Amino acid sequence: MRWTGLALLLLSLLGVLAQSVPEDPRDEAKRQKQLLLQTSGILPSDLIVEQGKDLFYTKRGPRGVSLEGCDFGLGAGVLQGASVQLPRYFADTGKVEDLDSRIRTCMTQLQGFKPEEVKRSEVVPLAFFIAAQSDGLPIQVRIAAPAEREMYELGQKLFYARSGARDMGCATCHVSYVNRRSGVLPFSDVLGKDASMSHWPAYRYSNDQAWTMEDRIRACYGNLGHPQPDFYSPVPIALQLFMAYQANQAKAELPGFLR
Amino acid sequence: MMRPRLKQAGWIAALALLGLASSQSDPLKAAVATGGAQYAQVILDQDEGQRLCTQYQSQLPGELIPKFIEAQKALIRYPANGKLLGDWQNGEKVFTDPKRGNCYACHQGDPKQLAYGTMGPSLANYGARGTSEPILRYTYEKIYNSWAFVPCSLMYRGGVHGLFTPEETADLVAFLVDANSPLNRR
Repeated sequence: MRWTGLALLLLSLLGVLAQSVPEDPRDEAKRQKQLLLQTSGILPSDLIVEQGKDLFYTKRGPRGVSLEGCDFGLGAGVLQGASVQLPRYFADTGKVEDLDSRIRTCMTQLQGFKPEEVKRSEVVPLAFFIAAQSDGLPIQVRIAAPAEREMYELGQKLFYARSGARDMGCATCHVSYVNRRSGVLPFSDVLGKDASMSHWPAYRYSNDQAWTMEDRIRACYGNLGHPQPDFYSPVPIALQLFMAYQANQAKAELPGFLR
Repeated sequence: MMRPRLKQAGWIAALALLGLASSQSDPLKAAVATGGAQYAQVILDQDEGQRLCTQYQSQLPGELIPKFIEAQKALIRYPANGKLLGDWQNGEKVFTDPKRGNCYACHQGDPKQLAYGTMGPSLANYGARGTSEPILRYTYEKIYNSWAFVPCSLMYRGGVHGLFTPEETADLVAFLVDANSPLNRR
């Protein structure tokens, strides 16, 4: 029954879409966002941000503290503008960290969770909440510390790498074939016009998913039949630093709202 | 019992190699090793062609191209019976299967099939080229290993990687050229 209902809803949505389907998927996403706002008055991503806000301010973990003491790069508890400057080097861990890994760092070091207790279902809403505090600001990542330089170079190499049984990598689709599509899906211009790092984490309306860029990168590899890099490992962090540097100055839309 | 052990031994050997290429000399190797065992293995197992395409961001310098193409040609294997033209109906299955050919991801094929990608040229009416030996050979080799023609092409080397066998490659050729294939029916 649920599926029939869903199918009917989709069919009626298709009917609405058929009246005027914008060519550009970016325009289509904007239209879908408007439709959702009109019909329900709130976006699903707003609810995820609220969920993250609760998780952020609640005293949790073995040490019973909130995440207000967490330094996301601009000082403990400073959230505005923090996520548009990530990934960056953190002296306390001696590592370049992205939003996901920094949340995990604070959940383990500040709140006292064990690494295996850090759930994606908590990291993602937290990422949505923190990112939302940088909505509208320009992306501003730096390559200053030696560790940042090293990570940037790693990210660049991985972005252009060809590997696996399908001989592919990020750039094969997201640079060389930007104006084409695979199956019915058009490729975003990750380093150029779309400045993809400016709108992640994002809500994906086509399958009701809340994803951070780490989820997105892992899914890209998965779609290519390529083994996925681990969450919080240097691979997704390096790729994000490379992409974010290309997106510098782009105005952030956080959380993003995408197909 | 032997197999997992051998696998593990191979993995330890790979890690030992990584140890030699320390983070200073090759940050890529050192960092991908922490990205997960399977991921690291695929990146570190890049063959010579993938390494070159990575190094030059898929824009190979002209002077490297002849040797590259020669090396890729040498990777092509042929069906035991020598026939480059197989069964088009099985070819259609391989063409469509996302785990084998996955050809619709990039190419138009059967004009009735609407969900096709536009990264590669349309293959509708490919059969207009005929079925002469040179056409069959070119089609076979291009499908088996596209890099023997266009270095670092997006078109992955399905034959080289064993996504389909030499016999299945011949079936794909048939799907492209056979007059009864939906690609060529009018």
